[in-house]
Amino acid sequence: MKDDLETELRQALRPVAPSEGFEERLLARVTAERSSPPKPSRLKWRRSPATRWLSAGLAASILAAVGIQHHLHAQREREIGLEARRQVIEALRVTEEKLELAYRVVKDQSSSVSDEKPGV
Amino acid sequence: MSLDEQLAKARAGDLAAFGDLVRAHKRSVYSLALRMLGRRDLAEDMAQEVFMQLHGKLQSIESSAHLAFWLRKVTAHRAIDQLRRRPPVEMTSLNDEAQLVSTVDGSDPLLQRQLRQLVLNLSPPARAVVMLRYQEDLDPLEIAKTLDMPVNTVKSHLKRSLETMRQEILGQVETRREGHST
Repeated sequence: MKDDLETELRQALRPVAPSEGFEERLLARVTAERSSPPKPSRLKWRRSPATRWLSAGLAASILAAVGIQHHLHAQREREIGLEARRQVIEALRVTEEKLELAYRVVKDQSSSVSDEKPGV
Repeated sequence: MSLDEQLAKARAGDLAAFGDLVRAHKRSVYSLALRMLGRRDLAEDMAQEVFMQLHGKLQSIESSAHLAFWLRKVTAHRAIDQLRRRPPVEMTSLNDEAQLVSTVDGSDPLLQRQLRQLVLNLSPPARAVVMLRYQEDLDPLEIAKTLDMPVNTVKSHLKRSLETMRQEILGQVETRREGHST
């Protein structure tokens, strides 16, 4: 039974031919591929040492530019903060002077009123 | 001209020699793809792709034996990959294909059709093993090399596949007998 089955399988699985024109279609594709200009290969592009150095340099420049910009931005922020602090201190100082002046005026007025009314 | 001479000429860029190589191997590649995928259109597309790939790899093909090995290996692996990516094909598509195979040796065309159908029911790796064994007439060691599979796995696939097909055929014969007796 095993041999019969294997014989039948060999018969059943005999190779058959593809449709008419199979080779012609294939050779036409090969010819078309040969005549078309070669596509630029991304891998080759990446593998080129000059391109690799150029890419690395470009990446380093971009990183440096981003770093410098970040540093300048932080410095500007710090300067703005310091200026705001200076202005607040100045405003407090002016306010203190005004209050001092007002206090003195009120004090002078109250002492002159008590001089005019000694019995009170 | 021998296949090795044709191969040398094809490697040198001779398109006619490449055409001769295609002519020599197209039945094997196409049939392997057809019995793996179960559809003529898919099988033709795959055979075309395999030969296009061969054209690009001609410089690495060392001999006519290496060429045959390479074609079987690439076709079988491509077919297994395609079957894993896509859902199973319709099993009716090979029915008309049966007519293409002549039955001059007196074998039973109905049984052969059933066998082709049963091969399509096997898992993709088992199907590849059966095809390489019975279409390409490779021994288990050669099949193992072609499919990158341990030789014991090949033997196990062969044993189980034959057993499954035998049971299926016996079952169908019994069913037919019962149908006739009632």
